[in-house]
Amino acid sequence: MEKELEHSFVTNLEQNQNIVHKICRLYTNDSESHNDLFQEITIQLWKAYPKFRGDSKFSTWMYRVSLNTAITLYRKSKRSIKTSDLETLSFKISAEEYDDAVEQQLTLMYSAVKQLNDIEKALVFLYLEDKSYKEIAETMGISEVNARVKMNRVKTKLKKILNP
Amino acid sequence: MDELELLKKDWQKQEDTLPKLSYDDIYKMILKKSSSIVKWIFIISILEFILWISFDIGVRVSGKYEEIEVMGMEGFSIISSIISYGIFLYFIIRFYYNFKNIRVTDSAKILMQNIIKTRKTVKYYVWVNLSVLAFLMMSTMIYMLLYTDVFSNEAVDQQVPIVVVVVSFIITTVVIIILLALIYRLIYGILTRRLKKNYEELKKLEV
Repeated sequence: MEKELEHSFVTNLEQNQNIVHKICRLYTNDSESHNDLFQEITIQLWKAYPKFRGDSKFSTWMYRVSLNTAITLYRKSKRSIKTSDLETLSFKISAEEYDDAVEQQLTLMYSAVKQLNDIEKALVFLYLEDKSYKEIAETMGISEVNARVKMNRVKTKLKKILNP
Repeated sequence: MDELELLKKDWQKQEDTLPKLSYDDIYKMILKKSSSIVKWIFIISILEFILWISFDIGVRVSGKYEEIEVMGMEGFSIISSIISYGIFLYFIIRFYYNFKNIRVTDSAKILMQNIIKTRKTVKYYVWVNLSVLAFLMMSTMIYMLLYTDVFSNEAVDQQVPIVVVVVSFIITTVVIIILLALIYRLIYGILTRRLKKNYEELKKLEV
């Protein structure tokens, strides 16, 4: 029974691991912390898995548990951000080739997102993942109206970071 | 905001650049132990309960209670035992239920609320214990001053003025409380700083 559960869990997570990697990318600045957070999220997902009934999609359920781990449960290591990490803050994430202007704009956007606080990052993450405001609200535990208002504030804040 | 839309498009194309873990990598991870803040709060809280209980047992074993009994305060000591174990039982049950309520599948806000609640239960337990302790020490002292001759037995020139006894007692109590508060701030401050900050951020959204 346990073996079966393990197998179905690991298979599910292997197929959906991108979600977790994307969260790690947003919340950590070096590969060691990335792995730390991935590890903790995996443990939390596994601990909660026996109660996963399949009444929602595995990926939807994953968003919630993973974000909760990143913003609530995970203890950031004391490792301070090194200069080399600061450079990777403005990471370029897609393999796509853009022209220079777009490229530069994207780099600036990524580094601006990195400067947001944990909650704002969570909102932006769900937004980038194309989640509805209803889903964002449910994941965070706030009302839909508040999710919209906050998202607009985050957009303003990003604008300010980009054009100080 | 155009930039954000641009980002969104790029964001959804990042799959190729993400790390890929194998089945075995992930399997190994589920065998490891969590180091989440909930786990740390749980461990430290249990240590706190143990610390206070062993303190209580220590006082009994060391014979301090017998001294009180000799002074004709048995009733007093029985009542204080009943109170302190009653308090312990109440808090440990509440702690257990709060802890059970922490579910990583709840919304971020409810999860944070439940963790903070669990933490608060133990905090109250310690403060209640401290107050009971201070109260017991204070009432023992007053009892001894008023109804026994512990303080007036000695020769007049060796007698410590009552004011000195009372003042030094109060100072000791205050120092202990301040020290404990500082240790608390340190341990839980480090542990929950980020959690509290994020919780405040979420709560701000409601106004």
